Amino acid sequence: MPKTAYYIPIGPIHPALKEPIRVEAEVEGERIVRVDVKRGFAHRGIEYMGMKRNAIQTLYLSERICGICSISHPYAFVVTAEKALGIEAPPRAQYIRPIIAELERIHSHILWLGVIAHEMGFDSLLFWTWKGREKVLDLLELLTGNRINYSVYMIGGVRRDLKESHIKAIKDAITYYWKFTEQMKEIILSDPVYKARTRGVAQLSKEMALKLNVVGPVARAAGIRMDIRQDMPYDAYADIDVRAVVPQDIVGEAKGDAYDITMVRIYEIEQSLDIIEYCVDNLPEGKILAIPNYPALLAKIRRTKGEAIGAHEAPRGEVVHYLKFDGRDGPSVWKVIAPSYNNINSWAPLLLGAEVADIPIVVAYIDPCMCCNDRVALLKTPEGKVLGYEYIHKKAVEKTRKIEKEVRG
Amino acid sequence: MNIEEVIEKLKESLGDALLNYEIREYEMGIRRKRKLYEVWAEIDRSAFRKAVETIFSLDYPHLHLISGEDNGGDIIKMIYSFGVFYSNPWGEISITLKFDLPKDSLILPTITDLMPGAETNEREIREMLGIEFEGLKNKRHLFLPDDWPEGKYPWRRDEYGVEDMIKHTHKSVKEIRKKGEGNA
Repeated sequence: MPKTAYYIPIGPIHPALKEPIRVEAEVEGERIVRVDVKRGFAHRGIEYMGMKRNAIQTLYLSERICGICSISHPYAFVVTAEKALGIEAPPRAQYIRPIIAELERIHSHILWLGVIAHEMGFDSLLFWTWKGREKVLDLLELLTGNRINYSVYMIGGVRRDLKESHIKAIKDAITYYWKFTEQMKEIILSDPVYKARTRGVAQLSKEMALKLNVVGPVARAAGIRMDIRQDMPYDAYADIDVRAVVPQDIVGEAKGDAYDITMVRIYEIEQSLDIIEYCVDNLPEGKILAIPNYPALLAKIRRTKGEAIGAHEAPRGEVVHYLKFDGRDGPSVWKVIAPSYNNINSWAPLLLGAEVADIPIVVAYIDPCMCCNDRVALLKTPEGKVLGYEYIHKKAVEKTRKIEKEVRG
Repeated sequence: MNIEEVIEKLKESLGDALLNYEIREYEMGIRRKRKLYEVWAEIDRSAFRKAVETIFSLDYPHLHLISGEDNGGDIIKMIYSFGVFYSNPWGEISITLKFDLPKDSLILPTITDLMPGAETNEREIREMLGIEFEGLKNKRHLFLPDDWPEGKYPWRRDEYGVEDMIKHTHKSVKEIRKKGEGNA
């Protein structure tokens, strides 16, 4: 048989991908020899929409950029807008914002741990980790009213205050997650199968990480100590002295593979717990909004001419926003750089020379976040009539009975 | 290296091409106030490549963003933002380069030879603003579909823009009803 290269298209819709993106790989045997990544299946022109709306509307639009880390974009947006407007959030708000952001980091990292377990076919681990994630989602619902898309940030503060009962619930959750993280370390990091499946897979050297401009846990797993909360602190992070979590501080050496990135994410959950604990214990008293009157805020934005670049360290890496106010009540220019924008750069070089079975892990290890796209599957008859649920269920039951009869003879 | 030394380096290598610069200070922290610094430099477009090389000579930077603004006139205002000396607590200095690019020659040298990861950013700017990057190898669309019409750039606010391709994304429900455009 002649030696030929085969072409494997993955996506835009594929069981290994939670969101639409396309990876086209050319393989010789099991080895990948050429890769191309196609993005943009979930591009919705949000920046364009934001440049037509007022700043408060754009703030909540920015929350819809990402469905998982839905507070990261509003955080970067408010930091940037406050820089451009020259206002400062009240101290209490500056302490509440990191609490919400770190709770979100916990749920996002646990989500990723489940996803990567699922990608390598370890589904019991997926269900166990996601069971643990429920508690933080419930807590976020208690604090903000929503499990996702919390809408609590505002330019110059936050919209909801923390009550005594909230603080008690946060403290309970912290105790729960200290235990849960210990268990995760034991179950995930010391599991021989997990280690065999991730050690050396998706390995990114420090030099490559710098050149590919990757950010967040991907860069930190490769040994680069970069973290916006450490390099350019804002809000309460400026009081806390956050330090980037890197594998060389944990085990003495950074390999930059999928195992290291797991380690970085698990230890970052512990770091988040520390940050939340500090913020809750040192929560200042006072008001929560610098300009509580929204028309006044919009009027101030209309009078402001200025631009700023702001960033927030999201669970997946840095989120950078650029805003320009120029006589409108909203941004006249708005540019958003999300972490996956840079992290997807690593796919093509990492997949070259890898094996086909590594594709899901390489694709999932950066925790890609294109955006959430819901789809509905409809079954149609050849004439185009949509089949109802009852009919499909009846057919399924009939088939099961038929197979049962055949098996039992 | 502190902020003054960064400015000195830029002045030294760019000379008159450094048209204007500003050091911005932001005070952060509640209990203990400390300062963060940013450099915003306006340069001549001919010195763009040199300015980027100067930044690379300071430290291997992190590229924050490339963006551009078209306000309908004859120029596109370009913005490149780099971060240097990151991975030090409170140490990152953000350097933002701004320059005007006349619409009759929308060509820039690529920086992908210095930083391969900038390919994503350059491909996005290329398809969104119609700026050609000399030396950029992969010129396929990034976010826009492969069958996107030629000569249409979503961020442009002139005849090359996409106003005619968009229906209601930026209008309020009231505006649509007032004009009686229905639910097209």
